Amino acid sequence: MAEKTMCISQQQTKPIKILKWKVSEGNTVSIGRVILLYDFDGASKEEQRKLKVTQAGTIHKIVAQEGAIVKPGETLCELKECTHPTVMNDMCGECGTDLRKNDVTVAASVPMVHAIPDLKVSEELAQKLGKADVDRLLKDRKLVLLVDLDQTLIHTTNDNVQPNIKDVYHFQLYGPNSPWYYTRLRPGTHDFLNNIYPLFELHICTFGARNYAHMIAAFLDRDQRFFSNRILSRDECFDPTSKKANLKALFPCGDNMVCIIDDREDVWSNAANLIHVKPYHFFQHTGDINAPPGLDKHENDNKLGVDLSKVKVIKKEQTSNNDQVKLNDASDTNNEIKKDSTENSEKDDSQKPETKPNEAGQNGDTTEIVENKTEKQSETPQVELKENLDTQPESDCNTQNHQETKCPENHLIEVEDSDDYLLHLEDILKRIHQAFYEDYDRMESGEVPDLKKVIPRVRGRVLKGCKLVFSGLVPTHIKLEQSKAYQIAKSLGAEVTQELEEDTTHLVAVRPGTAKVNAGRRKKNLKIVTPDWLWSCAERWEHVNEKIFALNSKGSKNRHPPPHCSSPEHIISYPEHNTPAMRKRTPSGRFMDTINPLMSFSSADIADMDKEVEDILDDESDTSEDEKNAKTAAANIEKNEPNRSTSSSSSSEDSLTAEYPKGYKRKREENDLSNDPSNSTEDDESPSIKFRRGEYVGSELDLEPDSQESDGSMEAPDEVDDGEWNMMGAALEREFLSNN
Amino acid sequence: MFYHISLEHEILLHPQYFGPQLLEKVKTKLYTEVEGTCTGKYGFVIAVTTIDSIGAGLILPGQGYVVYPVKYKAIVFRPFKGEVLDAVVRQVNKVGMFAEIGPLSCFISHHSIPAEMEFCPNVNPQCYKTKDEDVVIHAEGEIRLKIVGTRVDATGIFAIGTLMDDYLGLISS
Repeated sequence: MAEKTMCISQQQTKPIKILKWKVSEGNTVSIGRVILLYDFDGASKEEQRKLKVTQAGTIHKIVAQEGAIVKPGETLCELKECTHPTVMNDMCGECGTDLRKNDVTVAASVPMVHAIPDLKVSEELAQKLGKADVDRLLKDRKLVLLVDLDQTLIHTTNDNVQPNIKDVYHFQLYGPNSPWYYTRLRPGTHDFLNNIYPLFELHICTFGARNYAHMIAAFLDRDQRFFSNRILSRDECFDPTSKKANLKALFPCGDNMVCIIDDREDVWSNAANLIHVKPYHFFQHTGDINAPPGLDKHENDNKLGVDLSKVKVIKKEQTSNNDQVKLNDASDTNNEIKKDSTENSEKDDSQKPETKPNEAGQNGDTTEIVENKTEKQSETPQVELKENLDTQPESDCNTQNHQETKCPENHLIEVEDSDDYLLHLEDILKRIHQAFYEDYDRMESGEVPDLKKVIPRVRGRVLKGCKLVFSGLVPTHIKLEQSKAYQIAKSLGAEVTQELEEDTTHLVAVRPGTAKVNAGRRKKNLKIVTPDWLWSCAERWEHVNEKIFALNSKGSKNRHPPPHCSSPEHIISYPEHNTPAMRKRTPSGRFMDTINPLMSFSSADIADMDKEVEDILDDESDTSEDEKNAKTAAANIEKNEPNRSTSSSSSSEDSLTAEYPKGYKRKREENDLSNDPSNSTEDDESPSIKFRRGEYVGSELDLEPDSQESDGSMEAPDEVDDGEWNMMGAALEREFLSNN
Repeated sequence: MFYHISLEHEILLHPQYFGPQLLEKVKTKLYTEVEGTCTGKYGFVIAVTTIDSIGAGLILPGQGYVVYPVKYKAIVFRPFKGEVLDAVVRQVNKVGMFAEIGPLSCFISHHSIPAEMEFCPNVNPQCYKTKDEDVVIHAEGEIRLKIVGTRVDATGIFAIGTLMDDYLGLISS
């Protein structure tokens, strides 16, 4: 860009004497900035006058020196035209020039402020501001922590949720008729933020929409103490699938001091400064509602969630379907009431919940409101609520929840949530902070250590000095060095050998009775543990006590590490790694499909399935169990039996697994079996509800964008009891026939 | 700057309102449709003061809607370059600060904030302040600024301001 330089000359009629320059060369000046003080030469009375610039720009060269006398018309200094280093809404922030009209090339390209993508600064200025940030952070001995929201600190669903669960925030984002969101904070979030805040500058970095991010930030941080305005949301993300691209803009001086906590590493391209957090899962059937596009929102929807439907059953004993439908009705008609109460609750939120009497007052009020709404209320809830307040004074949202109660019984259900991950995370972060500043103090020239190196090192201290041997953990056809377990152990600093050696400290065995275990039993200082021990160490970055995970006669089912126990710096492409997730994503493994074949199996689908079965039958080379399943499935389809959906889904699932190593399937089945007890209970009533949903989609009351999909995320219901199935099958058959 | 000017607006009315309250409906509709809007030419329409005339309604053939041309007087707010205004600070960051003058939002670059004022990100709320903490500008604070540029769109106006002039800056109450 050609910069125009112009001269500021003396405009007065008399010669002037320059008293003092208020700017120096290279300074950026904007309109109205005083650049020098002068006085008329030989004036009778002394008077300081100010010379202001009439144009914005940078001082290029000062021609006239202080004390010099300048005659009219002579040059005082040279001013470079404004380079528009700060641009807001296509207008220069310094000189107010409209940059759309003139053909000006704009140097400003870096959106440095989180929530205002329109405000851009030039590369140069960004460097300067970034440097100032780094200096300040070092001075305060802080680091930057990018915090993800969904499944890291909170879990949000837009499935209809029991309204009276404790510690769940209910909110709408887009006006009165928009979907409701239900957010649960991870246990200990407030303490976590409080403790980590002195050590880290916290930024929110989420794929949620801007409204959403700010709403959640308001829940997490009412007086903007932790996050201030540092909230980066999807609206500001450059790249819809990665958060990495924004780092350069936010931290122009490099991400040396940036630490990231997130439950998914793919959005950070497996950055070394990422701490992969164990995903927080509270609401069943919902994964990350703000997953990056192209990825299944239910990818992380494992079965860990708290089963709210179960809670329903226990607490309310409303198992019959009629009641469920009524409940749905009620939830809809009460939406308006809920709106009112949200307003109330927001008021409550704004009040600080420190004073007890005040709270009690609120409490009374809220129950009154509820009484107005539902007249059959008894006295008990009030008492219970007070108890709750006493036990958990810091969670004032329970009153809010109570307000939004819409069920006949106003019990405030306290759901047990055993998630204590944030305690470990806090510990990890403190260790990282300590390690960083130890390094910084050791470096003399004011160099800044790189967290991308510090973090792996901190992690490498966890199992330092341990020498592991795996038994039954790595399939024989996979090299030890390529196995996930090996990489995890390595990243934690442990040594891994193929065979037992003299100084081996741990034997990680999947089941008892292997040669290595038997040999190991004879050794004195060898600890024999299940793989869970290793996963647990990786999750907490801590040398976990081996006794908790000692190998017993049952062995362990978890041969594969949970996905969050990754080791970014050792990542190589590894097919097994994705397997559990893949399984969830198989289209025919979806619960929705299995429950209502009429809806999801078009004739083309069925033809496809037939073809698939035929293909398998044609393929004579390999007769496995899969095919038997497939055959039965085909037979079932042809017979149009009610329970065909179950078997067909499992057949396609199995045929998919055929791509994976053989040993795999067994493990999966084991897994299924091990999940059995929980599954069978939680599916007790769900299918009927889901079935109803499927059938009466038109009149569905809580048709939120996600509800359909979330239904799909349920697993194939192999374990649903037969009576239920027969009943539904009969209904299906009837409908099928009537359609034909 | 505020002006009291005559303006015109066309009100499109659904046939369901044809009845004794017709003109009342036209008036209320004018208020809701006009107040708070922004046009590039006249700026923000703050308030309708008088309705001078409601012309003859024209029924749109085929639809049944009726169009009333309405002449009214309103107070409008049109910011100009060089104008000095009082504003409320909305957000402060390292690049500058955002302020609001009623419906008009305005950005002030940190270069346009007197050099003796420094950005302090560590205090809550974040602020710009002088070394001796004499002057502290933070969110919700009232400042006087001068507009150096405006961007006028069909739907809104955005301004760039400066604090670099005499008597600009924090308004001490």
